[in-house]
Amino acid sequence: MGTENGNRGQIELIELRKEFAEVVAVDGIDLDVPGGEFFSLLGPSGCGKTTTLRLIAGFEQPTSGRILLDGGDVAYTPPHKRNVNTVFQNYALFPHLNVFDNVAFGLRRAKRPKAEIAERVGRALELVQLSGYERRKSSQLSGGQQQRVALARALVLNPAVLLLDEPLGALDAKLRKALQIELKALQQEVGITFLYVTHDQEEALTMSDRIAVMSEGHVEQVGTPETVYEEPATVFVADFLGTSNLMDVTVDGADGDGCRVRLGDVVLRAASGATDARGEAKIVIRPEHVELESYGAPGENRVPGMVERTVYLGSADQLVVHLATGDTIQALVRHGRSTLYEQGTPVAAHLPADAIRVLAR
Amino acid sequence: MSVAAERPAASISTGERVRGWLRNPWGRPRFLVLVTWTYVVWSIVPVLIAVQFSFNATRSRTVWQGFSGRWYWGDPVDSVWHDPTLRHAALQSLKLGGADVLVATPIGVLLAIGLARWRGWGSRPANFLMLFPLVTPEIVMGVSLLLVFTHVFTFIHTGTIAQILGHVTFSISYVVVIVRGRLFSIGRQYEEAAADLGASPTVALTRVLLPLLTPAIVASAAVVFAISLDDFVISQWLSSGGGTDTVPIVIYGATRAAPLPSTNAIATIMMVLTLLSLALAFLAWRAFTREERRASVATEFGGFTV
Repeated sequence: MGTENGNRGQIELIELRKEFAEVVAVDGIDLDVPGGEFFSLLGPSGCGKTTTLRLIAGFEQPTSGRILLDGGDVAYTPPHKRNVNTVFQNYALFPHLNVFDNVAFGLRRAKRPKAEIAERVGRALELVQLSGYERRKSSQLSGGQQQRVALARALVLNPAVLLLDEPLGALDAKLRKALQIELKALQQEVGITFLYVTHDQEEALTMSDRIAVMSEGHVEQVGTPETVYEEPATVFVADFLGTSNLMDVTVDGADGDGCRVRLGDVVLRAASGATDARGEAKIVIRPEHVELESYGAPGENRVPGMVERTVYLGSADQLVVHLATGDTIQALVRHGRSTLYEQGTPVAAHLPADAIRVLAR
Repeated sequence: MSVAAERPAASISTGERVRGWLRNPWGRPRFLVLVTWTYVVWSIVPVLIAVQFSFNATRSRTVWQGFSGRWYWGDPVDSVWHDPTLRHAALQSLKLGGADVLVATPIGVLLAIGLARWRGWGSRPANFLMLFPLVTPEIVMGVSLLLVFTHVFTFIHTGTIAQILGHVTFSISYVVVIVRGRLFSIGRQYEEAAADLGASPTVALTRVLLPLLTPAIVASAAVVFAISLDDFVISQWLSSGGGTDTVPIVIYGATRAAPLPSTNAIATIMMVLTLLSLALAFLAWRAFTREERRASVATEFGGFTV
C-alpha cells in the first residue's frame, strides 16, 4: 500500500448496459475514472448505481458494453479473477470466522505464505485502527468496527480499485460523519481508486473528487462536487442535489451577458447555465442565493411575494415565499433576520442574475 | 384508599368473572394455553403408558405388576436383546436410517443449493415438484416404487437396497426444504464476498457456504434419521420379508398376534433414538448459530425461530 500506484486502477465504462427480465437497470453508460480518484455514483434507489458497481465487481454480467480496468476488458472475467475488491453494504463478514480469518481470507485464497499473511493482516488492521481485535467474532463487534473489518478485508489484497456499496448506510448519523472523514483520509493514504455508491448527496459531496449523478440507468452529469452542486446540467441534478427552486420560464432573447427569461408576468435576467437556449425552459436557483428584501425594493430581478411559512432548520431558517407569479420558492435566512419575515409579510424576493441558472428542456 | 375498594366487585356475576379471566387482554392467552396443554396431555399419555408397560414385571400389557428390565434384556427368550426377530429388526431399522442419512443428506444439500441458486426457465416448477414427495400419500409412493423395481429397474430386488432407495426418495425433500430455508435466510452475500476475495465457486462452496449451512445439514440429517426409523409403509412394501423387516413392521405383526411387553420395549427404544437425534440436531443448530443469534439475526430451525 502507498501512493506509488497513483495511476493504477483506471476504470473505463463504454456503453455499459444491463437488462434484467423486465427492466433496464443500466442503460448504456460511459464513464472514465482515472486511477487514484475518489469517485462517487450518486442517485436515488433504482437508478442503476448499485448494478453498475456489481457489474464492475463481476457479480453481474453486462448485456452489452465494455468494462476496462487499466486498459484490459474485464467484462467477462469472473469476480474471483478481477483485481477489484468490494465493501458490501451490510459488510458480509463471514460469521463463522473471526476478524483475523476474515481479513486473511483473500490472502489465503492467493496462497500467500503464513508469515506474509500474518504481517499483512496486522498492517491492514492497524490501518483501520483495529489491532488487538484479531480473535473477535464479527458478532462481537459494533457496526462501525464491522465496517472497518470489511474495509481491511478488501484493502489487504491491495486491489487496483475498491468498490464501496453504501458502506455507511447502516450506521447512525454521528458515526457516519466521523467515518466519512476517515474514509477520505484512508483513500488518500492508500492512493487507490475508490468507487463509492451512495444515495446520500451530502456523503458524496463531502468525500468525492468527482461525482456521477445517475437517474434511471443514465448518467445525468459528471463533475466535481462544486460543479454538480453549483452548476447542475439537468433538471434532475438540480432537483436531486440539495434544495432547489425550479420554475418554468420562457427564454425571450439575449440580455447583456445572459438572457431574458419570462416568469409569468415578470421579466428576469439570467446569467448562468444554458443562456443561449430559447423558448420553453426551466430556471433553478438555490435557496441560499435567494435574498429577501422589503416589499417594493427597487432594482432588477425583484419579484413581489408573501411569506407563507417559516421552518426552523437549526443553523438557519427556511422561508417559504409565495411569489406574485404563482410560484412558491424557498429562501434560507440566517437566524435573527428571520424575525423580520413573519408569516404573511409582503416581501420582494431578489433573484440575482448570476444565481439564476437556465436549464434547457 | 385502595384500588380494590373502588371496584364494584359485588355487581360482577360468577359467569362474567370466568369470562373476564379467560379474556383478560393483559394476561396470558389462557384459553389457548388450555387448548395447548389439553393436546399435549392427550398426545403424550398413551406414549407414557406404553413406555411404562415396557418395564412391567409380567407378560401383561394392561395390568401393572412391578418394575423390571426383563423385556429389554432380562428375559432369556422374549427380551429385545435375546429375541432374534426384534434384535434383527432393530439392526435393520438402524441400517436403513444410517444409510438414508448418508445418501439423502448430501444429495438433498446439493439439490437445495441448485434450486435456490437456479433462476430461469424451469426453476419454479422444479422448486414446486420438490414438495411432491412430502404431500404424496406414502402408500402411493410405496406401490409405485414397488412397480418400478419389479418392472422397470428389475436389477433392484426388494430388500435392503430397495428399502434404502425408497427411504432416500422421500427423505430428500425434507433435506431440501430445511437447507433451502437456511440458504434463503443467509442470502447470496457471503458467496459474493468470497468470490470478491478471490475464491473460485468450489472454494466458496467449501469454505463459506457449507460451514454456514452446517446447522441446517445437521438438522436435516437428524430429521431424515428420525423419519426413516418411523417409516412403516415404504419399508413394508419394499421388504423382502424375514430379515428385512424393520421395527415398525415387527411391532405391527406382533400386535396382531400375541403381543408381549417386549414390543413396548423396542418401541420405547426407537422413540428414545428418534428423540435423541432430534435433540442432537436442535442443540447443534443452537451451537452453530450462536454467533448469529448474538448478532440478533433471527435463525430458523425447520420453521421455528430459536
